[in-house]
Amino acid sequence: MQQKKSFWKRLTGSREASLVLILVALLIVVTILSGGTFLTPSNISQIFRNNALTMLMALGMLCVLLTAGIDISITSILAFSGMTIGLLQKYDILHNTFLLFLIAALIGTGCGLLNGLIISKGKVAPIICTMGGMYIWRGLAYVISNNNWASGADVSGFSDFGKDGSVGPYIILAIAYVVFFIVMKWTTFGRRIYAVGSNAEAAEVSGINVDKVISLVYMIMGLLAGLSGALSVSIYASAQPNMQYGKEMDVIAACVIGGVSMNGGRGSVVGTFLGALFYAIVAKALPLVGLESIWQNLIKGIIVLAVVLLNVLTQRAMDRANLERREL
Amino acid sequence: MAGKSGREINAVPQNSVKQKILSWEGGLVIIFVAVLILGAVISPTYNFFSVFREMPKYLCEIFMMFAMGYILIIAEIDISVGAIVCLAATLGCFAGNAGAPLAGVIAVCIGVGFLAGCLNGVILTHFTELPSMIVTLGTQIIFRGIAEVSLGSGGSVSMSNSKIIMPLATMVGPFPLVFFFVAIAAVIFIFSLSRTTFGRKLYAVGSNHTAAHYAGIPVQKIRMICFVLIGTMAGVCALFYLSTTFGANTTTGQGYEMDVIAMCVFGGIATTGGKGNLIGATIAGFTIVCLRIALGQRNINTQLILVIIGLLLIISVLIPRISEVLGNRKRRAVQG
Repeated sequence: MQQKKSFWKRLTGSREASLVLILVALLIVVTILSGGTFLTPSNISQIFRNNALTMLMALGMLCVLLTAGIDISITSILAFSGMTIGLLQKYDILHNTFLLFLIAALIGTGCGLLNGLIISKGKVAPIICTMGGMYIWRGLAYVISNNNWASGADVSGFSDFGKDGSVGPYIILAIAYVVFFIVMKWTTFGRRIYAVGSNAEAAEVSGINVDKVISLVYMIMGLLAGLSGALSVSIYASAQPNMQYGKEMDVIAACVIGGVSMNGGRGSVVGTFLGALFYAIVAKALPLVGLESIWQNLIKGIIVLAVVLLNVLTQRAMDRANLERREL
Repeated sequence: MAGKSGREINAVPQNSVKQKILSWEGGLVIIFVAVLILGAVISPTYNFFSVFREMPKYLCEIFMMFAMGYILIIAEIDISVGAIVCLAATLGCFAGNAGAPLAGVIAVCIGVGFLAGCLNGVILTHFTELPSMIVTLGTQIIFRGIAEVSLGSGGSVSMSNSKIIMPLATMVGPFPLVFFFVAIAAVIFIFSLSRTTFGRKLYAVGSNHTAAHYAGIPVQKIRMICFVLIGTMAGVCALFYLSTTFGANTTTGQGYEMDVIAMCVFGGIATTGGKGNLIGATIAGFTIVCLRIALGQRNINTQLILVIIGLLLIISVLIPRISEVLGNRKRRAVQG
């Protein structure tokens, strides 16, 4: 009995372990339902390619959520940077893939830095500041586009980087995840983010420059959003001002499923990856098990809510168990 | 962020906050007048009658703004309202197409909103450790998901018999009917916030919900009421949305939640709770509506409005902070 309890606790205690279990169960069910056609190499690569943007931005969102903040301007930054490089190609100003990626990343970094400064120096609530950013950058994307959009022909050379079969998006994803895993786990900066999120005042007292950490976190988020803008233009071979509208909620949802707390200080890169992967697999699996794509959002929403509620229930059970043990 | 803020707030005398809020509304009125003048300057057709004629399609958001004010004052947030509008408008449209009379459509829209608000409220009051942001994020996807499923693969529905909903789109003299409903709602919401015990309880819960709980205020009941209220208002919004567009699709109401929160914040309501009032928010709401009409008439890049709203939002939250910093500097100069 004792042993069983500790095994159960080890599973629920570590969010990552329970997520892996759920993922494996999900994969088995889907594989059986689809008659073994799910786990093919092409399907797996499509899962990553279709969700590359969410997976990439989830890393930045992890950092932001760790500091008890939130950033809902990311898809607007994405649209602004993506639209900019789309137009640069449309009007034949620049066609160098590397430079275009660099420009998009720089634009994103600038937008993110602005968010960070307003939040840290201006003491503005993150949701309000980034909501303002959400309007401004999306609006600017429309304004610079002037009701035009960059079509597949306009971005033909650039889209080779992200077209089906190219390894570009996977390399960016892999590098980003490895870098973040190392930074969050083994560097001072990573640990400082956790410290600020767990208790900002204590972090300040212990000599951490909280304002700087917060500014940097939003800057990183902006950088990833800018990169995602370039990636989006590359993968979908077009740039419109309304691209990825409303998808910031998917990014937040992926983090939440991955066990990142919105109160700050709790969450990990592995959890974020598993959360994003879970979300992606569900989206891919629905058509294979015979549900039309219109059911996608409903199922996704139910999963988000169920995961969140389940998390509370297990937390309550653990607290109660701890209390009982102390009383004995 | 917190920092030493706890102490700083205590050090500020009560009066100066009051003065700040008073001057805030004064400033809003000035901006409102400026927007009207701007509209008249940039558009020759911008006058009393045309503004009221074009108002209905923008006014429906204002209903939710009142309730969102309550939600923000109790330091919660609801980002599912746009999705509730989508769901209620969709089902209301189906009801109309199935032969329901006007009363039936009204009942469906408001009923759907009410039930959606109940769902949010029940989850939030039973799982009090969850932030409202996460829960309404989840329900947002669910509500829009239900709408998407019921709309089917086409993704849109239109009223086959728009006569059913026409009575709601009538004009009374120069004013659209919906304007009167907004006015009535404004009076009720503003009055109950500032002149009833319920309104005072909202501020108490928003300032410090633990203290409010120990003072005998039924915190969970208040939260429940607020979330049901905003759901119901989203239903009302959906009803008037139908009366101007005669249909719904999967993107109906997208971004409404942010528009409504922006209006409240621009109107001086703090998202940290316990601060602000609905008079400011109402002026801010009408300012944005009038600005939209002006830009719409000129047919200049209507998306420019997004940039303007965003700038207004950020500037309006930065102003108190800037004045605070300047005040500190002055105080230090006096002391030094």
